[in-house]
Amino acid sequence: MADLTIQVHEVNGVAVLRPEGFINAHTVRQFEGAMEAQIHAGRFTLLLDCRLLNYISSAGLGAIMGLIETVRENGGDIMLCSLQKNVREIFDTLGFTELYRVFPTEEEALRSLNGTI
Amino acid sequence: MRNPAEPESFRLVIPSQTRYLNLVTGMAKRASIVAGMDDATSAKISIAVDEAVTNVIVHAYSGEADHLVEIDLRFLPQALEVHIHHTGRPIRDNEVVLPDPREYIKHPRKGGLGLLLMSRFMDEIRYIETGEGSECLMIKRVV
Repeated sequence: MADLTIQVHEVNGVAVLRPEGFINAHTVRQFEGAMEAQIHAGRFTLLLDCRLLNYISSAGLGAIMGLIETVRENGGDIMLCSLQKNVREIFDTLGFTELYRVFPTEEEALRSLNGTI
Repeated sequence: MRNPAEPESFRLVIPSQTRYLNLVTGMAKRASIVAGMDDATSAKISIAVDEAVTNVIVHAYSGEADHLVEIDLRFLPQALEVHIHHTGRPIRDNEVVLPDPREYIKHPRKGGLGLLLMSRFMDEIRYIETGEGSECLMIKRVV
């Protein structure tokens, strides 16, 4: 099994990325590339559905950090949903849950955007 | 034969390549459970080990793939010690500056978060020069 696979689909202009596995210094370029591809395609609202993400290190957090200004300057955002407990703890520890909107489920995240895209 | 005066331990030596990170973190997580940590603590230790080994590969060895990183886990009665040994550029305690998470949130940027995660997830971190190289020692106590 690969360290990381990323499924991507679009819902009403929102790019939903579902990483599965591990985001670390080895897989971070793949993760960053998947987000950048959506931005280059003009989709500036990204939802990271983390239900299958086992693990994210600072390399992955840095990749998200590196794109947040670009998407917000273009009227978009990076949101997260369905965080597993240990992944949630990493975000909480660094205070990232204040910087990003975090939702329990993909449906709730998408519902929060109704009428804003 | 093992010297009974020394703590039980085992050692993993990997090439300085990030493709081995998953192997190292998996081992660190299992070792933490053997040491008596719960699942949540074991997950934190594995993250701290990932960050420390990544620092060695990326910074101490500048990404050069033909060096070695030695991960030595020692099982003390009340703690797990993780010794990460390398022969690259040393990191000294006084060079380690932890970013302020509140500043990070105000001014998002890449980098600097690994050391912060290590410090939050482990009880003690020391950088040691051994004469044969450098070592990052991380200690997690069994509660």
